[in-house]
Amino acid sequence: MAKLYFDNVSIHYPIFNSRTMSIRNQLVRIATGGIIEREEGGVQIVSALNNVSFQINEGDAVGLVGHNGAGKSTLLRTMAGVYAPATGHVTREGRVATLFDMGAGMDPELSGRENIWRMGFLLGMSRTQINDEMSAIEDFTQLGDFLELPMRTYSTGMAMRLMFAVATSTAPEILLVDEVFGTGDFEFQKKAKVRMQTLLQSVKILVFASHAMTLVREHCNRFFLLEHGVVREIDESELSQFE
Amino acid sequence: MNLAITDIFQAIQRWQLVIFIGLSNVKARYRRSVLGPLWLTLGTVVGAAGLGFLWSELLKVPRHEFVPSLTAGLIIWQFVSGVIMEGVYGFSRQAATIKNTSQPYFIHPMQVVLQQFVNFLHNIPVFFLVAWLLDVSFNLNMLWVLPCLILLILNLLWLALLLGILGARFRDIEFIINMVMPLLLFTSPVFYRPNYLPFSEDIMWFNPFSHLIELIRHPLLGSPPPDFVVLTNLAFLVVGWTLAVWLFNRKYNSLAFWL
Repeated sequence: MAKLYFDNVSIHYPIFNSRTMSIRNQLVRIATGGIIEREEGGVQIVSALNNVSFQINEGDAVGLVGHNGAGKSTLLRTMAGVYAPATGHVTREGRVATLFDMGAGMDPELSGRENIWRMGFLLGMSRTQINDEMSAIEDFTQLGDFLELPMRTYSTGMAMRLMFAVATSTAPEILLVDEVFGTGDFEFQKKAKVRMQTLLQSVKILVFASHAMTLVREHCNRFFLLEHGVVREIDESELSQFE
Repeated sequence: MNLAITDIFQAIQRWQLVIFIGLSNVKARYRRSVLGPLWLTLGTVVGAAGLGFLWSELLKVPRHEFVPSLTAGLIIWQFVSGVIMEGVYGFSRQAATIKNTSQPYFIHPMQVVLQQFVNFLHNIPVFFLVAWLLDVSFNLNMLWVLPCLILLILNLLWLALLLGILGARFRDIEFIINMVMPLLLFTSPVFYRPNYLPFSEDIMWFNPFSHLIELIRHPLLGSPPPDFVVLTNLAFLVVGWTLAVWLFNRKYNSLAFWL
């Protein structure tokens, strides 16, 4: 059973400026017993999530909405296990795949095909899995001979296709998606939609952060509103105010 | 369960990933050069030849004795210093990967050591070429290189982990390392051997790098490593891993926020 439970989770971000990042300051702090540190340049703490609790079970597709900076990406990263909560507890069961920052793990000097391997490994696929998926990925990207050229020669749209194809072929149980649509030409968007739908049918839990309410409505059956680090479950009818 | 130890074991299970990414980084780096990684080998040849002939006269040591020892020293130094210089960036340069995919952290220090080891493998033939040209007698003691290399790599792994954590938190560390490394090159027995020094041999053994270098250099030159060198290396292993795992465990949950 795939599940994703948050129990009173809070996330605090330490923001280091050059002063607090430096060793000198740490040494001064030790030497002076910590008084200086409080006076000048203490670590600023930004609390990105405050006592967030929810339960996402198998079959749930959650749309995550909220303004820029509301904490959507932080929440998704906490779900993925990248950030550990300062207080509270996260229960996560099931294999997670992330579709966050599309550029992560790519190397511009390597060919498209080599980058498929690289991304596949980074997203947790095994050698045989990548081998099995290779032709489907190649087919989906429609890059043809371009796959042999280095990634730096690709247009944004081409790179996007490749990354999307790999990320959607990992067959995860829990899929976390952060605003990945909206790039690429129309033809690609249509194909991406079809592929996304097939993927969604195999995924047990989906969490999808987006500003595009049509997409959220289309793919999700539960809706979370994130405001000032607090999560509130809302009704589908309330989505219209964000359009 | 200890977070650090769990992470390290998960990373070891993902060795395929580590090897693939490590090798593809090497490939990417040399993609557009004709000689590729052979540039490293060539660099070592030039360094060993040039420095060897000059310094053997300066130090008044016969060439056939000095040049192989210098070559071995240079090659080992490049491995050790490479891990230190790249280890500092181990986590900070991989910020995008760390923040966007869920992977055990320890794959990054592993990759740093692997990449430097690949470089080391490119350099090793230079030593054997020099040894052959200058009639160094090959013998069975050279087989000590294998266990000694394993010991060295195990030591470099904790070093890369420790430096990676420190480098992610304190961005000054990279500058300190860059400043200190050239000095360390001259104060470590790279160009010379501890017993060349008239009075300071004992002081030289206080430098931990002397132990790391001599551990490999002795077998390369055909003698088993001295017992005390093996013992200090084993001591580094225990102390280093304890320290690195302790710090890693303590800061495990903060690491992602530092990047």
